[in-house]
Amino acid sequence: MKTKMVPMLLTLFTLLLVAAPVAWSAESIHIAVSAPLTGNFAEYGQNWQKAISMAVEWINAAGGIKGRPLEIVYGDSKSDPKDSAALAQKFTSDNRIVAEIGDFSSTASMAAQPIYDRAGMVQLSPTTSHPKWAPGSPWSFGIVGTQAGEGPFMARYAIERLGKKRIAVLHINNDWGIASKEYFVNAATEMGAQVLGVESYFETEKDFTGVLTKLRGLKPELIYVPSFYNEMALISKQREKLGWTDVVVMGPGSLYSPKLLELGGNSVNGLYTSAVFFPNDPRPEVQKFVKGFEAKYKATPNMFAGVAYDAINLMAETIRKVGTDRKAIRDELVKTKNFPGVTGKIAFTERRDVVKDYRHLVVKDGQFTLFDK
Amino acid sequence: MLVPQLINGLTQGSLYALIAIGFVIIFGTMNLVTFAHGEVYMAGAFVGAFAMSLWHLPWFVALVMGMAAAWVLGFLIEKVAFRPLRTAGHMPPLLITIGLSIILKDLAVVLFGAENRPVPSIYEQTVRLAGVQVSVLQLVILGLAGTLFLVLRLVIQGTKIGRAMRATAQDHEAASAMGVNVNRVFSIAFALASCLGGAAGVMIGIYYNAVYPTMGGTAGLKGFAACIFGGLTSIPGAILGGIIIGVVENLTVQFLASGYRDVVAFLVMVIVLVLRPQGLLGRKLKTV
Repeated sequence: MKTKMVPMLLTLFTLLLVAAPVAWSAESIHIAVSAPLTGNFAEYGQNWQKAISMAVEWINAAGGIKGRPLEIVYGDSKSDPKDSAALAQKFTSDNRIVAEIGDFSSTASMAAQPIYDRAGMVQLSPTTSHPKWAPGSPWSFGIVGTQAGEGPFMARYAIERLGKKRIAVLHINNDWGIASKEYFVNAATEMGAQVLGVESYFETEKDFTGVLTKLRGLKPELIYVPSFYNEMALISKQREKLGWTDVVVMGPGSLYSPKLLELGGNSVNGLYTSAVFFPNDPRPEVQKFVKGFEAKYKATPNMFAGVAYDAINLMAETIRKVGTDRKAIRDELVKTKNFPGVTGKIAFTERRDVVKDYRHLVVKDGQFTLFDK
Repeated sequence: MLVPQLINGLTQGSLYALIAIGFVIIFGTMNLVTFAHGEVYMAGAFVGAFAMSLWHLPWFVALVMGMAAAWVLGFLIEKVAFRPLRTAGHMPPLLITIGLSIILKDLAVVLFGAENRPVPSIYEQTVRLAGVQVSVLQLVILGLAGTLFLVLRLVIQGTKIGRAMRATAQDHEAASAMGVNVNRVFSIAFALASCLGGAAGVMIGIYYNAVYPTMGGTAGLKGFAACIFGGLTSIPGAILGGIIIGVVENLTVQFLASGYRDVVAFLVMVIVLVLRPQGLLGRKLKTV
């Protein structure tokens, strides 16, 4: 027995050395991330995870936060409100965790909101854009901009830039989709466009032939489709199959993902959308992020990686200033006025969300390109 | 937009009908219901999708592969869930198929992930028929479903195994006494039913460009509903039932909203069954 103990201990010791290249003297600072790591929104969640892991690696390589390493506690919510609420219970009752980043969809974030609110923990969502979200609790923050900003932007794009006046809307039937539709329709109507019809679909829908046939009967020049890449790819392919080609398709920045191009193929050519993050942006912080991400993951980061990267860096910066008290973090975060994010400057409004600059994009030859006409 | 909407409904309905026929064959010959039929359909769809997207095989090869895989799966399900329990009554096999359905679905989630898997498009062009623009793919699907209906009719009416199936359906014991290998008939009936489900799966994958592990749930339910709607043991009834459900769904989308499609489809079914409990083309049940 004794002779076996020595090599065993040695192995264990070596393993520990390999696992922890930096010897931290202080305790880790824990931040929780609630994200869809599996399921239908997995692509988005995995992008978050990649960006956040890289940011944490960089922060810790530079000495952590005042000598304390940063550690992320991931929770897979599948962006399902049931799971995000359960994760919120788990995170808020864990005393090590100082703040939370997430969730992905407005529905999932809003389901967890009362729990973070009661417990008094910051819930900073990289992507939640429902206009009622951030104002819903003093502990909620949104950094992606809201539909209140994006809706009118897209309406101007459709009506003023593309000159389309006859518009139909097909939106996903959830909190985000409904808000998305309303801000777009209100702005479009104000700008003098005619909204011929509004249809919705449930998240589980796969058959869009019926609803597309119906919209086609209204003869719109443009359909505005607040949706995600999965359904947008199906909608585009089924639209093409039905032979409905004399229409322009447009959707909000939620569609800006390489997965849309992969799943949609030729059928998404000519699709108009917007973005707050552009990998070719020459700003040094953007280039540092894009180069690092490409080197590490052999892929160009998308907007979802960008906002997650901004969220973790903003959080780390705030903790560096005020320490790990949950309340102090919230009070400092509110004051953020000029944080140089890769998705643009972050300055919280009094509603704790931000106003973004959007870019006009169009899919051309299977690539997202700037629309510059 | 009425005619295109009817064609959408007809296409979708003919695929429901293929699933419904599976229930009819199984119930007709064995007097049993399977709840794993939707998952057999899902398995066929996945095999078809893999054949097309990973191995780049032509769609008809994918279709045959999907049907073959579903055939094998059906054969195995019959062996595992039904064969050992032939004399155990209705409940145990029913429960086993519910279990199998959960196992197959979760296995697909674990193996392939819960997200949509894309299926390549075929026949993207459209043709004008009598002034109406029709998708070629819809015509292909309708043609294939029609062909399968015909082949099935020929098999059941014209072949020896078909005759054995009909005999077994009428009376297991009498058929057995006349020298029909009832076990073999059950095996083949189950596999044949599954095979049609697999065909529907591959075609729906191509039609909507997506397959996913939970696709069997609603499809199985609608197929089962179409089977009851049509009269439980009537193949023409199942076809009619499937098509009516498909058409009603699409007309609901046209005249109401997409969220109501299942509500109205099942409401119509409930009304018909209240007025005509034996289903559209079913025989009146003998009262015991």
